[in-house]
Amino acid sequence: MALILENVSLAIERNLILEQISFEVPIGQVLVILGNSGAGKSKLLEVVAGLIGNQSGKIIFGGEDLSQLTPQARKIGFVFQDYALFPHMTAAENILFGLKSRQAPTTEQKRWLKLVAAELKIDHLLSRFPAELSGGQQQRVALARCMVLRPEILLLDEPLSALDAASRERLVMLMKKIQKKYRVTMLYVTHDHNEARFMGDQIMVVDQGRVIQTGPPEEIFARPVSRFVAHFTATRNILPGRIQEHLEAGQALVEVAGSLLLSTSCQVASQDVWVCIRPEHFSFVDETAPASPISSISDDPVAAESAQTTDNIISGYRISQILPQSGATVLIELMNRGARLLVFASNRRVVEQNLNVGSQVEILVAAEHVHCLPRQPDDIYCRPE
Amino acid sequence: MKVSRFSALVTVIVLVAGLFFGSPFVALLKSFTVADGFSALLNYQVLAVVGTSLLTALAATGLAAVVGTVLGYYFTFHKQTGSRWLKTFFSLPLVLPPSAAGYMLLLAFGRYGLIGAPLYHTFSVQIMFTLTALVLAQFFVVMPLMMQAASSAFQQVPGSLVKASHSLGADEYTTFIKVLLPLSRPVLVAGVITAFARALGEFGATMMVAGRLKTIPIMIYVKAMGGDAGVADGLSLLLVLLSFMILLLVNFIGEKR
Repeated sequence: MALILENVSLAIERNLILEQISFEVPIGQVLVILGNSGAGKSKLLEVVAGLIGNQSGKIIFGGEDLSQLTPQARKIGFVFQDYALFPHMTAAENILFGLKSRQAPTTEQKRWLKLVAAELKIDHLLSRFPAELSGGQQQRVALARCMVLRPEILLLDEPLSALDAASRERLVMLMKKIQKKYRVTMLYVTHDHNEARFMGDQIMVVDQGRVIQTGPPEEIFARPVSRFVAHFTATRNILPGRIQEHLEAGQALVEVAGSLLLSTSCQVASQDVWVCIRPEHFSFVDETAPASPISSISDDPVAAESAQTTDNIISGYRISQILPQSGATVLIELMNRGARLLVFASNRRVVEQNLNVGSQVEILVAAEHVHCLPRQPDDIYCRPE
Repeated sequence: MKVSRFSALVTVIVLVAGLFFGSPFVALLKSFTVADGFSALLNYQVLAVVGTSLLTALAATGLAAVVGTVLGYYFTFHKQTGSRWLKTFFSLPLVLPPSAAGYMLLLAFGRYGLIGAPLYHTFSVQIMFTLTALVLAQFFVVMPLMMQAASSAFQQVPGSLVKASHSLGADEYTTFIKVLLPLSRPVLVAGVITAFARALGEFGATMMVAGRLKTIPIMIYVKAMGGDAGVADGLSLLLVLLSFMILLLVNFIGEKR
């Protein structure tokens, strides 16, 4: 049992908006659709909801073809980017709109309103009009408006994009909780890779109406199939490299930024490659720590674990900038004769290891976190931002 | 304080325009005498004309409100190939000379007309030169105004609200009644008021189909040409005051939005 899209295409006024989109989301799971503005993400949701009708291909849910059904018959909830609350109705009237349209008995309307309002903690807001609610409160009402209809599929179009960081954090947790509790199948559109990672059982990266890569978050983030995906999933280090030697089963020695690195994620035939390393996969060598075969300190448990196994040591870099990030982390820019690397570290590490601008450092990266993509020799150098 | 050439030019144009547009009103006030005006207006014949005008304008406005709103909805949400041509066609009476509109109505609904002839011969129904003809002529001229007001009102409703309504299970009719109409109400009401004012003042098309019947504008024309300044002054002033109040009301609604 799953939500299945088979070769769904959509053209509006001769412009191809969606091209042969196919995916399968098991019931009760979340597929995050990640892509730039104008990539066709919202249109894809509208096609699934039946709000745009002239697409080709099939939309199947639980074995039933939804393609020919009206939006009213699809049992799909849609949370819009701008919340789309009816401004002339109170929060309660907004929430009950769907039930009233379906002529649900008044007792059922009251029961569901009470239940969902309590669940989403909006009991005290029911008599207010949307203009009297904050962005986060409006989003809760919009979510409640869908949930009272007990949809089998919930579509969310960048639901948190207009909210401040604190509200975003609270709401993303709430949505995850609700999704798990009701086992609703969810398509969640965003351009935020952190949201995608947190919400998604699977992530589908789209660009210009086409699917570029689909897979579990860890695969999308660790092994992007193209420079676009790498860039979009915040792989901040995308460096031009050259394979020196192919070893067994996807392993290779790659020359990059003046260092020779072992990669165990290098299924590339060409000699010229893009080497992708995420900033959180580096760790600083702690010279003050007790001696060990390879001494590493990492804020990332995965990186820390792998550092004990097959680490690459990169030397000769100096810290050129330390940039504060959200949370208790910093982004450290390292430079070595024009080559540049970006590395995440916690504030605590910066203090403990005395990392200052100008310090010369050695860093570690596990071989499995050195990911190669094919590169044409004339590809322009992609300097990390 | 130094006044720029541009500011001076603007001031001159405003003054000249004020003189030009103000002079007819001043002339009317000068010509109007309270005693003559009231005695002319309080004549049974004149009061009947005022009644006819109000009645036909109300009927035409009601008809235009319904049809114009539906057409505005259609051209906003059911765009198809040729919609633009069709909308332009329905808007034609806005720019068509009213006398041409009246003449065309005669050709269509006259006793020997395209629709008028079968109506007359089958049901012995005559439309021309009756109150119905006045209503049809006024409706013909004011409906496009209402259609345009409705179109622009519906376009101002965010598309996501309509999509939200459909996704929540509401059909097209429920969405129209529960979402579109309430959110468009101020613009629609302003449209209805403007249409009523236009219908009340309609002259050219009405004149062509009125026969012996008279509305206020026709009465003003007849009396002015016949030299009966008292009635012409009184009715003109009545129309000026009504139009002024209607415009004030439309502006008030606009500001309230």
